[in-house]
Amino acid sequence: MEPIIAIENLYYAYPPLTAGAESLPVLKGVSLSLARGECLALLGPTGAGKSTLCLTLNGIIPHLTGGTFRGEVWVAGRNTKESDPGELSQRVGLVFQDPESQLFNMTVEDEVAFGPESLALPPHEIEARIDEALETIGIADLRHRSPLELSGGQKQRVALAAMLAMRPEVLVLDEPTASLDPAGKASILEAVLRLRRETGMTILWVTQDVDQAPLLADRVLLLGQGRILLEGEPGEVFGQTSQLRSLGLALPQMRELAACFNDRQESDYTWLTVEEAARDLGEVIPPEGDRRG
Amino acid sequence: MSTRFDLYVARSSWLHRLDPRTKLGFVGVSFALLFLSSHLALLAAYLVAVHLLLWAARIPSDRIRWLWRQMWPLTLLILLLWPLFYPLGQPVLWAFWRVRITLPSLLQGLAAALRVDGLAFAVFVLLVSTDQARLVQGLVRLRMPFEWGLILAIALRYLPLLYSVYGTITDAQRARGWTAEQGSLPTRLRAYVPTLVALVIAALRLSDTLTLALAARGFRPGHRRTTYRSLHLRRTDWWCLAGLGLILVATIGLRLGLDW
Amino acid sequence: MAEPAIELYCCSYRYNADIPALREVSCTIPAGTWAALIGQNGSGKTTLAKLCNGLLRPDEGRVRILGQDIARQPVSKIARSVGYLFQNPDHQIFAPTVREELAFGLRNLDFPPVEIEGRIEEALALFSLEPYADQPPAVLGYGLRRQVAVASLFALRPPILILDEPTTGLHWGATQALLDRLAELHRAGHTVLLITHDMRLVAERAEWVLILHQGRLLTEGPPRELFAQPEMLARASLSPAPITRLAQRLRPRGMRGDSLTVEEFYREYTTLPVPFRGKARALP
Repeated sequence: MEPIIAIENLYYAYPPLTAGAESLPVLKGVSLSLARGECLALLGPTGAGKSTLCLTLNGIIPHLTGGTFRGEVWVAGRNTKESDPGELSQRVGLVFQDPESQLFNMTVEDEVAFGPESLALPPHEIEARIDEALETIGIADLRHRSPLELSGGQKQRVALAAMLAMRPEVLVLDEPTASLDPAGKASILEAVLRLRRETGMTILWVTQDVDQAPLLADRVLLLGQGRILLEGEPGEVFGQTSQLRSLGLALPQMRELAACFNDRQESDYTWLTVEEAARDLGEVIPPEGDRRG
Repeated sequence: MSTRFDLYVARSSWLHRLDPRTKLGFVGVSFALLFLSSHLALLAAYLVAVHLLLWAARIPSDRIRWLWRQMWPLTLLILLLWPLFYPLGQPVLWAFWRVRITLPSLLQGLAAALRVDGLAFAVFVLLVSTDQARLVQGLVRLRMPFEWGLILAIALRYLPLLYSVYGTITDAQRARGWTAEQGSLPTRLRAYVPTLVALVIAALRLSDTLTLALAARGFRPGHRRTTYRSLHLRRTDWWCLAGLGLILVATIGLRLGLDW
Repeated sequence: MAEPAIELYCCSYRYNADIPALREVSCTIPAGTWAALIGQNGSGKTTLAKLCNGLLRPDEGRVRILGQDIARQPVSKIARSVGYLFQNPDHQIFAPTVREELAFGLRNLDFPPVEIEGRIEEALALFSLEPYADQPPAVLGYGLRRQVAVASLFALRPPILILDEPTTGLHWGATQALLDRLAELHRAGHTVLLITHDMRLVAERAEWVLILHQGRLLTEGPPRELFAQPEMLARASLSPAPITRLAQRLRPRGMRGDSLTVEEFYREYTTLPVPFRGKARALP
């Protein structure tokens, strides 16, 4: 099956700040592929180029930013060098980290309508899309509220809905929960998991939160020094403890505990979640009818 | 503190339901009326009429009081200064040194003040009954390019944010020992550099991310767009526009004819 | 008990007429403590922190810093005792070079020029900012901008440091480096008050935790005590770090349920008397 996203040997350097200065390459030969329906978590230290990579997926790089771009990026069968962001925005939805600067309308309804309006869709189609998007994310009750009054988690859900109204085939989320409090983080995670369950949407989730990644990712990619350094299932990637540490990345705490056991005993635990660890460490399950979470 | 810089009060009144273009027409005709007449009775009548309008539209009186609170210093200023600078006619009510206060000039000053208040209330009627999105949409339907409308809408939406960012910036700099309260005027003006530069940088960063967000939402300047919310001129609108048209013609006619 | 660094007596504050941000909060943070302030967004953490350096004045109640009531002192004077780092480094960066940015606070607080030079060099070295010393901080990457902001706080070396979510957006390595620098200051006797959502951080570094909920101080105490009470945390809509949650789930097996770190958990678990099913075997 053709992957929905294929990146081949991508090299990108932003244009230099002043004329004559050197441009600084951010991506130095990235290759990856994302299959339809997959959920990929992209990890990497600050400044590794994760956001830059996201911007190449919907054509903002190189069409709006210039710079030096080499290699190929294919999204839903289209080459991003030949399609502009306007077209690609119907294939790839992009949700940014800061809820404040991606919501610019006065009501949630207007916000979700903005994308379809930009696509010059007829009003009844726009209405259908708004209804669908709000329903899928579960924020139909916020329809007439102003984004200015919403909490961080609610704002990000509005941003999600606004992107869904474009009916993308892939949803790229660039650290969507980084600015949120724990309740907000949980609500976004829940919304995206629900989205996957109900629509099978393909997802690329960029995050620094290693405890979060195992909860939703089928595969994990590690971006560092401009390239993909590790790739594989969460268990495999988080097993590369020394490489992760050398890049300054944490392990999920349960994986650290597993490493602690594995180093000192002859075990080969690969826990990533509290659930897995509790099961192996002999959690006593109370008799039926007395079960606590 | 309102989180938006606008006067809009949500109500479901006939005024609110009018098309924004009709209300823009009202502002236009009001301006014409106010500038073309100097008759005190007419100007006062205008203000009374506007207040009746606002009352019929169920605008809360504390909003109306708010506007008067903003306007009274200017009104008072005009009332005091006009007779001083434009003494004309008879009878002279009071004279000392080179200052003559005459009755006609007092009345003219009153007219000027009422005119300014009238203008403020005309715009107030528009802003208090029209939310920003519809206002921008109305302007766009009147052939303003969509991009200008977007600029206006974004500015209105982000001004409160930048205002609060400026507050945070001044707090952050104060926490580093910054003050702008000492020294001569030039020193104090220069002292605002740390806060203003940080604000400008923050605004530039914001506009950067905003551009990305707009692009990600498929926005292409100059390309055709549709609008989800429709604006239709309804019967009430046509009646109001007809009425406004009559008032305008009458005013011009009376002005030319009777030289009011 | 050491001299108190921060004392709040029954402080209340409202931003507007509707909702009180802080309600009759009283707390004492002894000098030399590393304290963490946790709670949901909107619980009043930032409000409380801003009362400590005069950016906000309580509607009711009193605030004492290092034994002195600060009600009449201007913020610029309190800044000598209390350093405050805002959450977003972009809300303070303005200078044409990193050096100038670091010098800003030092100059405002009237440090002698020679000392300013010395402190700048020290801060640059401490945060590995030497290669960027003469570049404008605004064009550096996010992680570096945050380091510039933290460095400019460190250069002042105030007795009390308040940091509002300083690790947001930083990867683990950078987070640990920042916390290590803080730990050095803490060992030298400075008081640290950290506002954070990162429960691992709180468990691993804080000596004292204050939990705010809807403007009230729900409870305070050492992390071990507080994290062992999941119901208390749940009331504030918080949950402890994964290792603590695991320890709590294994209470029926004999765990105390108050493990703060992986190491602690391992040591406690491998000394449990009860034999267990599972892949590995406990060491005697």
